[in-house]
Amino acid sequence: MSATRERLSAALEGLAYEFEAPLDGMTTLALEREVLREVCLRLKQRAGFEGNTLVTAVDHFPAEPRFEVVYQFLSFQHNDRVRLRVRLREADAAVPTITDLWPGTSFSERECFDMFGIRFDGHPDLRRLLMPQGYEHHPLRKDFPHHGIEPDRLYRTWDKERRKEWEAAR
Amino acid sequence: MGSLNPVESGGDLGFLATRVDFLVNWGRKNSLWPMPLGLSCCGIELMAMIGPKFDLARFGAEAARFSPRQCDLLVVAGTLTWKMATAVRTIYDQMPDPKWVIAMGVCSSSGGMYDSYAVVQGVDSILPVDVYVPGCPPRPDAVIDAIIKLQKKIEREDPLGRLLHGPVEKADTGSGQLVFQPNEGVLKSSLDRHAHDPESRSAGVPLGTLIAERPRGHTEVRP
Ligand code: SF4
Repeated sequence: MSATRERLSAALEGLAYEFEAPLDGMTTLALEREVLREVCLRLKQRAGFEGNTLVTAVDHFPAEPRFEVVYQFLSFQHNDRVRLRVRLREADAAVPTITDLWPGTSFSERECFDMFGIRFDGHPDLRRLLMPQGYEHHPLRKDFPHHGIEPDRLYRTWDKERRKEWEAAR
Repeated sequence: MGSLNPVESGGDLGFLATRVDFLVNWGRKNSLWPMPLGLSCCGIELMAMIGPKFDLARFGAEAARFSPRQCDLLVVAGTLTWKMATAVRTIYDQMPDPKWVIAMGVCSSSGGMYDSYAVVQGVDSILPVDVYVPGCPPRPDAVIDAIIKLQKKIEREDPLGRLLHGPVEKADTGSGQLVFQPNEGVLKSSLDRHAHDPESRSAGVPLGTLIAERPRGHTEVRP
């Protein structure tokens, strides 16, 4: 057992999780949404993971549970990383936010929400990050067509409204 | 007054009208003020073009201004996304007439390699374009060539007729159809109607009908 695993086992004592061995060799934990916040809290306070480097998701469409949210954390003092994986069903694609523990995850969570439509409950400002506000779809979902769904709809609506105003002002 | 209009008078122009047109066009074409709209990598070539090596000042178009109110040439240099499209269209609307547009690079001409949900498939989906410059990115020489072509186009315009008869109603619905442009001097091919544009696609107008059905304005090609 590596030093990282030992440290994690000690920090996460009493919580439900499983170690996994992905091909890239990074220490990986698979866990349920219910324990996610507690695990993150302990990672930060007991296992010395000061930084979050990544929050993203994987879409396993059409398998169910469809989504998998992936977190990666970095420990500066121990010079190692850990990855968390949480599987989510499509009907209830939501996880608790961790922005209160690592404020920097705010943007990653917004991006993940924008691209996959996964809600981060408790996020202080869960707006889209990349796509325009008011866009209705989530482009990185596997059932999203390559050319998009009416990509110009928002622009055309804006244009029509504007022209209506001009007409009224004339 | 209509006798000054080259179309109505069948090309029989008064001496004064031709000279005034010539003078105004000469002034306009040699003092284009570009609005540099560097949206991505093409913007770097645009800077090179304005800089000392390629020296756009030789063509009178080096006075780049970052306020659309002072510009008459919009150079769309880069990948235009639908999110940015409202801003670009607003900039275009803020420019005073007469104004011209160069689509620099394949991205702004046709979407280029970004055949995706986020990218406008050619800025002619939202603006009337005068000159398209292919290349990824086009060399500064290519864009200078586009400016020379634009100058030739401006030479053939009819500012006096425009002044006397008022600006023509633009058929610029932003639908990418490019039926008629206010400053049009060069006949365009029917292919200018953008194939990717959903409105022109769903309109069901077969390619090739646009030139014949184009309304005849007072700016026409002169021999
Ligand atoms: S045409 Fe090429 S160089 Fe220009 S913006 Fe597009 S990708 Fe960049």
